[in-house]
Amino acid sequence: MIPAAFEYVKASSVAQAIALLNQHGEDAKVIAGGHSLLPAMKLRLSQPAVLIDIAAVAELKGIKINGGTLTIGAGETYHAIATSSTVKNACPVIAACTGQIGDIQVRNAGTIGGALAHADPAADLTAVFLAIGGTVTVQNAGGTRTIAADDMFVSMLMTSLESGELITAVNVPVMSKGQGASYAKLKHPASRYAIVGVAASVTVANGVVSACRVAVTGAGPQAVRQPSVEKALMGTAGDAAAIKAACASAGADMEYLGDIHASEDYRRAMVKVYAARALTDAIAAARA
Amino acid sequence: MTAKKEYKSLGKRHKIIDGPEKLSGSAQYTGDMRLPGMLYGRPVLSPYAHAKITCIDRTAAMAVPGVVAVLTAADLPTKDRPVNSRGSAVLAHDVVLFRGHPVVVVVATSEAAAKDGADAVLIDYEPLPVVADMESATLPSAPVIWPNGLPKDGMDLTAAHAAVDKGADEGHREPSNLHEETKFNRGDVDAAIKNADIVITRRYTTPIVHQGYLEPHAVVADPHMMRGELTVYTSTQGQFGVRDEIARLLSMPKSKVRVVPMVVGGAFGAKYGILDPLVAAVAWAVRRPVKMVLTRSEDFLSTTPTPATIIDLTIAAKKDGTLLALDAVATLDNGVFPFTIGGILGILLGGYYKCDNVRILCREVLTHKPQGGAYRAPGAPSATFAIESSIDELAIQLGRDPLELRMQIGVDEGDRMGNGDKWPNIGLKACLMAVQNHEMWKTRTTEANTGWGLAVGGWPCGMSPAASVCRVDSDGAVRIHVGSVDISGVNSSLVLVAAEILDISPDRIQLIQGDTLTGQRAGPSGGSQTTYSVSGAVAAAATAVRTKLLETAADHFEASPADLELVNGVVSVKGFPDKAMEIGAIAELAENKSGGNGPIVGEGTSAVSENAPGFVAHLAKVHVDPDTGHVTPLRYLAVQDVGFALNPMLVEGQIHGGVAQGLGWALHEAMIYDEYGQLLTASFMDYDLPGFEVMPDIDVVLVENKSPFGPFGARGIGEPPITAGAAAVANAVRNAVGARVTDLPLRAERVWRALHDSK
Repeated sequence: MIPAAFEYVKASSVAQAIALLNQHGEDAKVIAGGHSLLPAMKLRLSQPAVLIDIAAVAELKGIKINGGTLTIGAGETYHAIATSSTVKNACPVIAACTGQIGDIQVRNAGTIGGALAHADPAADLTAVFLAIGGTVTVQNAGGTRTIAADDMFVSMLMTSLESGELITAVNVPVMSKGQGASYAKLKHPASRYAIVGVAASVTVANGVVSACRVAVTGAGPQAVRQPSVEKALMGTAGDAAAIKAACASAGADMEYLGDIHASEDYRRAMVKVYAARALTDAIAAARA
Repeated sequence: MTAKKEYKSLGKRHKIIDGPEKLSGSAQYTGDMRLPGMLYGRPVLSPYAHAKITCIDRTAAMAVPGVVAVLTAADLPTKDRPVNSRGSAVLAHDVVLFRGHPVVVVVATSEAAAKDGADAVLIDYEPLPVVADMESATLPSAPVIWPNGLPKDGMDLTAAHAAVDKGADEGHREPSNLHEETKFNRGDVDAAIKNADIVITRRYTTPIVHQGYLEPHAVVADPHMMRGELTVYTSTQGQFGVRDEIARLLSMPKSKVRVVPMVVGGAFGAKYGILDPLVAAVAWAVRRPVKMVLTRSEDFLSTTPTPATIIDLTIAAKKDGTLLALDAVATLDNGVFPFTIGGILGILLGGYYKCDNVRILCREVLTHKPQGGAYRAPGAPSATFAIESSIDELAIQLGRDPLELRMQIGVDEGDRMGNGDKWPNIGLKACLMAVQNHEMWKTRTTEANTGWGLAVGGWPCGMSPAASVCRVDSDGAVRIHVGSVDISGVNSSLVLVAAEILDISPDRIQLIQGDTLTGQRAGPSGGSQTTYSVSGAVAAAATAVRTKLLETAADHFEASPADLELVNGVVSVKGFPDKAMEIGAIAELAENKSGGNGPIVGEGTSAVSENAPGFVAHLAKVHVDPDTGHVTPLRYLAVQDVGFALNPMLVEGQIHGGVAQGLGWALHEAMIYDEYGQLLTASFMDYDLPGFEVMPDIDVVLVENKSPFGPFGARGIGEPPITAGAAAVANAVRNAVGARVTDLPLRAERVWRALHDSK
């Protein structure tokens, strides 16, 4: 398990990393935690000529709150996020989600920016990001822009990041009273990625669901919202019957993957089960 | 357990000797070795399950900096040997026979260069028809893998298992992928089924399961061309067998091959010499030391996992529970070379319950997959899953308590195994009684979607002759030499045997594991036989040393040996405490004295004549998520008849490990091949090896029903604890949610489907 030879550059700033990206173009890959890239390189499925290591770039660190927005540096590790009291208070679903990814070694290396940029079809954070909404801040040689969660994931392993762009931060709304979110996951027994993962975020006002976002990962080629479920739940009391009724359409309009670990039939059924679980927990949190 | 009071060291809990080394990572494994001038080998494995090799172009690989040689089958000293087993299939000749069949080895000055070289080898294949499925393999339409029969001149290094009659083949047949059939018949099965009140027929399937050792196969071969000798350092369960096979395949005298068994990071039946002949041949060809350590994927693809089985089982019983008939056809997927464990599977399948009418047919089928191999109690988890699921079903249908029914119909000494042989002294019912008396059984309650499952299991256990040398040196240490390999902690029990006989602390005993040159003869470490077989030799050697110590001291004190005693490492004249000598001082005396016994060295041999089967009874509590089918083991009770636990801590450790692997069979593990013979689970990202986090708490109860033959009453204990787990869990799932799942593993989707089907 030895990768093909490559050049390794440790970037000390975002600007340097972007300059290196532009200089080497397609031959270069950015590495942060490396938990998706390195296995691919060891299997020689990926053979970049240059690795640009951004793990030590200080600008990509930091967890802070500005007004109603929680901003997490793209280079923050899952472990740092999962154990951050700021994250736990402002957006507990992100802490809970990052706290169950892989194992402790994975969580100590993997980063939130890496997870969103890689957009693995079975990643956990993609669904959570879609469900809670927000933006990523991306930077290229010309400056910065933001990409909304709903515009982020294009297709399997494809995002709307342009070449030469780097995610620098993830911005999500701070949860306020009456809001709750949850992520429920059927783990792949061996890899612990999501076979089906469902994230739900709801607002309950005056006893009824006034806002709702639900997203599914793992079951198909990319993380996707569930507009029919969201719509069905809006205006209801968010009780068990309403959740059950809303989840009848969960996963109806999406593409599926099926493999030796879980057939398409099973994934379809599990999307409904886990959508209900995620919504139940999210609504309970909103009411708490 | 009055026996334990007789002993100072035996029967007490002693930590594993090399535990700290292994825990701290300082143990030196084969992969840690570096010899001067050593090269690194990397195999190129076949991407096809069956194909003709039309061209091998080495040009680009040879151009990679650091690459020293690119070798094919024709370049190796093994080139004229018939290929008829995994060990002899060093590199493919003209045709590849399974996905993962090694075709080329690239040898280079670094691991990286060897990998680059391996990537640069160009091989053209012409795909040939693949026989991937064991059921269709025997249809007339299936291509015959060995139309001219299997090439002759073979030996099966993995045949070191249970010491039982494995049944007879039916003699010559037309060429077919049905390699061998084993039949056991007694009584009149058809008539018995007709007269039965209840008949239960089920088809059970178990998948190919990998041994899942932590340390992949690793070998360093060091040729000495001037002397015509070859030394091989390897992660193996048995150096003598590996030596013999290397010598045979390389056409060398056995005396010129030295095999050094290294620290083993898990073996479980897989390490009897898969990679060793290849690395030996490569080193011989390049005339330099060569190391090869398989990657995890290479290991999954090219080693010998345990065969998949399909077991069609019918049992017939009277209303009172009496088992009237057992009728079974078991089909086993051997892979491309024979690995025939149908005999032992049939012996156990028909061996747990009293039954006068038995008909068992075991069919060994060849397919284009890696040859099957031994995995801890080979055949037993499959057989036990089938019979114990059906007996559980029988209890349910009769409305009987599953433990009480087993007490009624379970075998005792003198009852028959599947092959008609009589069981010797066994503890099946003693184990059941221990379950019955256990708090977990007595207070078992079922909450929603939880259930309890009971299963028994057994294993005949092997034995083989062994020798040992014991010496006392003037530094005061006792040294024990053996030729057995420690894969499971046996050394930490063997020292207790010597400590007991010499009445000294086990800390003062050093156990020296020899290689084929320096070690005393021992059988391979498999078949639960090592402690059982080698303890007697160690005891005899220690007894010889004890005699010499007493004689030498008697001579010194001018007393009769009968008037001396050996207590806490000191020999003294009884009643004269000032007439006393440390054993180290006696050794020093003996080393310097003219005349008399000479240095304190003793040898011992043993050749146990009868095996001592080990039985278990396991009780599992599970929760089943009715929405997803996910099964969570909650509690686990493992009761085992161990005869006498020489070192209870290690026995419990073996049981913990066996239970964990049994739960792997039950809920997790499966090697899955597609219809082209492609392995879909060639990494731990796809092959679900259970981790600690999914293990329940395990209660262990040791039943000590002494074996009449084993050392101090001990029995083989390594294999029995893996046998019953799958059945216990399947029975617990049935108890929890009513679904009878007959295919392993009981993964969530499978249980979910069973729940849906039963609605």
